Formats: sequence, C-alpha cells, structure tokens
Amino acid sequence: MSDLNIAVNVKLEPDFSEGNVSYNADGTLNRAETKSILGPHSAVASNAAFYSKVLYGARVAVTTMGPPIADIALQQAQLLSDADELHLYSDRMFAGADTLATAEVLKTGISKVDGKTDIVFSGHRASDGETGQTGPQTAWKLGFTFLGNVIDYYVDMQSRIVRAKRLISLQGFYDVVEEVEAPLPVFIAIDPSYKASFNTVSQRLAFEKYQKEAKGRAQNYKQYLKVFNAQQLGVDPKLVGLPGSPTIVYKVEKIPKAKASRKAEVVEGSSREQLAKVATKIFEVLGGLVIK
Amino acid sequence: MMESYEVAIIGGGSAGLAALKQLSNLGKQAILIEAGKQVGTKNISGGILYSKKPRNGRVHNVEDVYPEFLQDAPIERKITQYMLHSTSRNKVFTLNLTAAHEYQANFGYSVLLNRLTAWFAKQAGESAEKQGGGIVSGVHVKSLSWPGEKTVIETDELDPFEAKAVIAADGVNSEVAAMTGARTKFTPEQLYQGVKVIVKLPEEIIEERFGVGTDEGAAHLFAGDVTLNHIGGGFAYTNRDTLSVGAVYHYDSLMTRPTEPSTLVNALLKNPMVAEFVKDEVAVKMEINKDLPKEEQLRVRFATSKLIKTWNELRDAWYSPSGRKRLVEAGKFKTEAEIKSRIDYVQNELTSKYSTRFVTDYVELEYGAKLVPDGKRCAMKKPFHKNVLFIGDAAGRGVFIGPRIEGLNVGIDDAVRAANAVARAIDRNNFGPQYMGEYYSQMIEDSPYTRDMREIDKDYLKIFLDAAKDVPKDIIGQRYGMLFRLMSSGTLRGLAVGFANILGYDKLLPLVESEDTYVQVPVELAEKMGRSMTAMYEPTLPTVAQRVARLKYDDDRASHIKVLNPNSEFMKKMVVLCPTNCYSIEGGEVILQHEACIECGTCAKETEWHHPRGEKGIVYQYG
Repeated sequence: MSDLNIAVNVKLEPDFSEGNVSYNADGTLNRAETKSILGPHSAVASNAAFYSKVLYGARVAVTTMGPPIADIALQQAQLLSDADELHLYSDRMFAGADTLATAEVLKTGISKVDGKTDIVFSGHRASDGETGQTGPQTAWKLGFTFLGNVIDYYVDMQSRIVRAKRLISLQGFYDVVEEVEAPLPVFIAIDPSYKASFNTVSQRLAFEKYQKEAKGRAQNYKQYLKVFNAQQLGVDPKLVGLPGSPTIVYKVEKIPKAKASRKAEVVEGSSREQLAKVATKIFEVLGGLVIK
Repeated sequence: MMESYEVAIIGGGSAGLAALKQLSNLGKQAILIEAGKQVGTKNISGGILYSKKPRNGRVHNVEDVYPEFLQDAPIERKITQYMLHSTSRNKVFTLNLTAAHEYQANFGYSVLLNRLTAWFAKQAGESAEKQGGGIVSGVHVKSLSWPGEKTVIETDELDPFEAKAVIAADGVNSEVAAMTGARTKFTPEQLYQGVKVIVKLPEEIIEERFGVGTDEGAAHLFAGDVTLNHIGGGFAYTNRDTLSVGAVYHYDSLMTRPTEPSTLVNALLKNPMVAEFVKDEVAVKMEINKDLPKEEQLRVRFATSKLIKTWNELRDAWYSPSGRKRLVEAGKFKTEAEIKSRIDYVQNELTSKYSTRFVTDYVELEYGAKLVPDGKRCAMKKPFHKNVLFIGDAAGRGVFIGPRIEGLNVGIDDAVRAANAVARAIDRNNFGPQYMGEYYSQMIEDSPYTRDMREIDKDYLKIFLDAAKDVPKDIIGQRYGMLFRLMSSGTLRGLAVGFANILGYDKLLPLVESEDTYVQVPVELAEKMGRSMTAMYEPTLPTVAQRVARLKYDDDRASHIKVLNPNSEFMKKMVVLCPTNCYSIEGGEVILQHEACIECGTCAKETEWHHPRGEKGIVYQYG
C-alpha cells in the first residue's frame, strides 16, 4: 500500500494541432475527420500526478468518462503518469452529459479506485468545452477541498497537508501567486503553466525509473484498464447523461473575425537591394521609435 | 540534509559509462552526471573503437565491460582494410597498413558515438539501477568542494549532493580538471583538432566501392597535399550506411598558419580519390517558377519534396539486404524487384513532371569537431586529485602514433582501472589520496597504453617499415637515410629504438611529427610513385553556415564562453580556427556569437570556457 493515493480525471479531446484538425464548411468541428488524443490540460494533470509518484511513490489511478475509444487517452495519460490503474466509464446512458452529470460519474468512479484517494487532479479546462466546471463540480460532489490554478504543490506526508501555489491572473492587475495549504483529501485543478521540477539526484533517478516503468506499462495498458458501465458503477440514472444535465447547449455562434487593418508587402529574395528595401520599410513604419 | 552517494562519475561518454558499468558489475552504487539531455548527444569521435591484446600486460576491453557488445551493440563495420595514401594533386601512392591496424588487436570497429553511447548508457544504466545508482542526464556540474572528507558537488540544475569518490570523465575540456587544479588547460602543442563530416552512402554501394563484405569495412588515411601543409592527416572510414570523413591536425601547426577547419575537410573531399569515395546519385530540385499561382507553387514544392523523400528512402532500402527484406515482409511490396521498379517510377515522375535532375554529388549529414589530447604529450602524470580520479580524454590519454589512432579503448581501459580503485576504496572505506589515488595512478602506470604513450614499440615499427619496404630509399633517404637504414635491419632496429627511447619521445617527436613526415615526403612519394586518379565530378561543398544550419541545438541564451582578452593574438586566430565561425572581428576586437558553438574547446585556452548548462547546446545525431 502506498502512503499517498492519487487519481487523475482526464478527457479525450480533438487534436487541435495543425494538420490534425478538420472543420466542416460551416466552421464547426468535423469530429469524424479529427483525430482524438489526450487533452493538453489532461496531460498537464497527468504530469502533476507523476510528480507525486516520483517524490512520494504515490499510487496513481487515471479515470475518464467517454466512448470506448477513450482508452487511448488513458494510455497516453499512463505514459505520462506511470498509472497503476486506469478507469474508463463508458455507457450510452452517459451521452449528452453536461459538466454536472459528468462530475457525478467521475465522483462515483473515485470510490471505485483502489485505496482511499488523497488527491484528485484535473486539467484546467477542456480544449473542446472550455467551461472549467467539471473539476470544481467533482470536488464539490466528493466533498474535497478544491484548489484551482495550481502551479506547484508539495505534500507534507507527516501532517498530511498539501501546500500549493496558485497563480491568480486578473485582468488589469499583476499576476499574483498565492500560497495555500489544505489537509488531504483535496481536488487540484492544475494550471496549464505547471511544470514539475526534480531538484535532487534521487528524484532524477526515481524519475528515470518510473518513466521507464511507464513506457512498459503503457505498452500493455489494457492490463491496467477497468471499464465500467453505468450499472457496474452504480450511478443514479437520474443524475447522469442527459437527464442529469441541467444545461443544454442550444446554439453555437461563430465569433465574427475582426477586420484586419494591416497591409502586407512581400519582398522576395536576399540580394542587398531587396534587403535594403525591407530595412527601409521597417524604419519607415517604426517612424518615431528610436532604435540604436 | 544533503544527499550522499558512494561515487559520482562526471561525464557520460564511453569512458564515464564504462566506469559506471564496471562499478555496478562490482556491486557498487554509482551515479553518473551527464550534461546532454540524452546521453550520447555530446559525443563525437573519429571513430574506430579497438579491442586490444598487448603482448605484455593486459588491457580492459569494451567487450569485457559489456559482454553483449559484439552481439548487440550498434557498431558499424569491422575494419578489415587499413590504407595510408600519400597525395599530391591527382596522384596517390598507397601503403597497405592492415597489418599495423591488426597489430595486437582483437578487432577494430567503425562506430558512430551517438547511437553507441546511447547503447552503453542503457546497459550501464540498468546495471547501476540494481545497485541504487543510475544516470542523471541534463545536469551540468559547476563546482566541487571539500568541506569535509566528502566532495560536495554543485550543479546548475540540482540541489548540491556529496560523494565519497569522484571519477572525472568530462572530456578533453575537463572542467573538473580546471576546478580542482589537477592540471592546467592543454596547450596547442598537446592537442589535435579534429573535424569530421558524416556522408550518406547506401550500404551495398559502400561494400562495392570499398571492396568489403557485409559487416566489413575499410579505413583510409591521407597525408600529403590534402593537409594543406599541416601536420596531421585526413581519414575516411566506412560505417554501415554512412562514411566518416575528417581531418585531424596538430593544433600548434594550425596556430602557426591558421586554416579554417572546414577548409581542411574540404581539401580532403576535393581530393579525387575521396571525391570518388563519397559520390552518390543526388536529386536536385528545380527552381520553382515564381510566375505560377501561389497555390500551384506550394503544390509543386510539397510534391517534389515528398517524392524525393520517398525516392531516398526506397533507394536506401534497396541497397540494403535488411532494408529490402523489411519492405517485403511489411507487405509494402510483393517482391524485391517491385521496389526497384517503384524507385524507377518515382525517379521518372520527378524527372518528367517536376523537372528534378539527378546528378553525381555527395550528401553531407553532419559536421562536427573535437579536440584530441595527444597522450604522448599530455597524459596526466598524476591522474588524480584528492578523491577525484581522471580518465580518458579528461586525463589527456590517447595513443596517437603515426597511423595508430586510439582514444576510445584507452578511455574504457582507464575507466575500469578507476572503477576498480574506487571499489577497493569503498571496501576499506578509505578514499584518501594514498589509498585510492596513488593506487589508481599505479594501475595507470601499469597500463600497456601508458607504455605506448611513452616508448617506441619496435615491433609496431617493423610492421610499418615492412609495409613501406618498396618505397625507394632515395625519397626517404634524403631526410631519414640514417634512421631508415638502422630501422630496416633487424638487429640494429633494436639498438636504434633503444637509443631513441633513451632520448625520449619529447626530443624525438618534433623530428618525427614534422611537415617533412606528413607533407613533403608523402607529396614526393605521390609525385614519383603515385597513380593518377580523376574524379568524374566536382563535389558541391557546403559553406560553414550551411553546415551549421543542418546541426541541431538546444539554444541557451546565456553564453557558456567568455572572451577574456578580445585583442589577444590567440583570440584573433580563433576567428579562423573556430570550426563553426563563432568568432568575428568588429572594430579591431574579437567578438563571440556562441549560438553555433559545437563545444569543441578550440578557443578554451584563452577564454573562460564552460560546457553549456544541462540539456543546452549541440545535439549531435551521429557523433
């Protein structure tokens, strides 16, 4: 048994990177043509969990709600976090879930994870939903202290207290880093700027060891995978899927593109004259600015 | 509470990794600190790796440290031909030195250090893990101190930690040596500067061209006018599907008449024999017609690039038995013949639709450089300081005697000796200089390699003379007549060598390692006895900027080098001698732009020189 049990909620999301994403003529996402991967924020959350693995030898479980192919997200998360356990909550009954109904499934899933969960990590938000609500709602349903925008954390294993740094960005103000502490269990929504740092030789050695282990595990991820349907999970059908979703997206509008006011002139070539032309233009445009 | 380890090895090259493996084999915990993000990305060599069996004494070979070496390691080709060519213009005179290459050798393999070092790291890392140690990469050691008996090691990346023993394997530009003051920086007289390009050439073309079987390879050395009057020479080694072509010159000879390293390697590539060695069929894209609509221009550009890529990949596979097999087994082609017809089809498409031309030229993959310590002149007499043991290049050790060029094997042998000395110290918990350092020093004294760095080996000399027996005495005679006569006679040779060894290498070297030996005599030999060679084409030689553009770096905004005196004569020479043109003169002062630095250390003597921080700097793909 590990002294620290971690769970990570992840999400399978469309791959918005260049060359992988495809749009319909009306500008909406062509889901059939777009590859799905582990969401970028979920990846950050997985990294945060891996940090606990390296520092405290934590046991890690990665969970997700989604279609059967979402196991790919779990595999990718396992590669990042060296997870000991993977959960996929998959049932037609879950279709059409909003954030609250999703949180219900995720909360119930946490109770199925081996051991008593001390920290749940989630991403900041999803790249295809952007609400950032699922995390806090899951925390609320679990009754865990919620810490959002976390950029760094540390667990005092003796006193069972988490100390975390939160990045507070308010428009028009300086960014503020707030240091908070909370007794376990907690739910941490990780900020996208989180980056784990391993500062001692032993941490680096553990990092190497677990990373290698993760590669091996991810290759055989199905050995670690448990799939639950609604019944196996034991959720209340009224609280999941469409029936459990108080919000409905009834319309999506495109934000009109702002008209560009720039004029571009292309100067091709690399001869002295051509470069001089570019340099002259730059000086003209920069006008009053003094460059030395 | 500071973390504490038994042994810290600094530097993850072939020597440092061998020390880690050996210590782990002996059941000792050791950690290895490497600055590169991945082990192997900072390593470069000529490169032939030898395994030796000296008549007197024994050395620790690579296969002793890694028992799976011959079965499993990514080695290139077993060198079965070793030729020395004297050149003058289009004339080449060849001596077959295969017997010298095989002298007291189990084998000599051509190697590319990036992949080989990564393999060493995997083996050594796995063994070390079992003893609670391992490899920590991406970390640059910046200082060592001794507040007590243990050494406190500070790095740019990690919290300080301590170690009872330290093995310094941080190369020719050893920072550990500088930090401890164990030795001064090497001077130009003690160094060679080596510069090398990796040339792409399909597997079976290599075998046909060099007349070698599968897995076999050839080494060709060059002296004469290709040296542009510098002391040293060129080399061309066959790898599996690349060639290593380079030039190695005495650094002091370069200081006397500075010549750009890239010019030196170009001189070699332009030699008709070498040009014919490296030539291949190369696809040249047509300039895209700028009058076409933008979309069409893009389409043509992408289509051409993609087809050329396919053509190259298929062609490389076609000229390799395993490549052909792989394509057929993967179900991509039904028969091997189908691959060929596909190549022809792609080539035809490129020619007819995209006006691509197929010309004879050569393809360069990577440009690199390093300093090589001349063991004869700079091997550390006392290769330790307190509880720090120096091995390989860091200790200035390598055997370079005429065509005998050995560095990697010497480093591995040193590593085992150092590891054994440290293991013995661990058993007694005594890391004092008397018990560990002196003991290691004695083991190094006992090394046959040390002997080779100090004394002339008359048996090796005999092989060399036998190979040169057809050389008319009048060419050599003018300069070395007396010496040659002595050496050619069995009984007198013993006497002569004895006398020479009494005189000592120090006095002999300036005579032997001279322009006469490396330039004039070979030129005369080639002129008088050489056969004419012609190259069917002129290789398109890349500029330094083009060579640098092909390299991979993880840029560090902060420079790892600080110029101390921008007006010194030495620094002015760096403008020419830096292999990647990092130095230039502005307003009479030498200025540095470190971004293209490949960390060779050529400028180290008069600069504040550090390796870049962890993960930063050059990332060699071949090495």
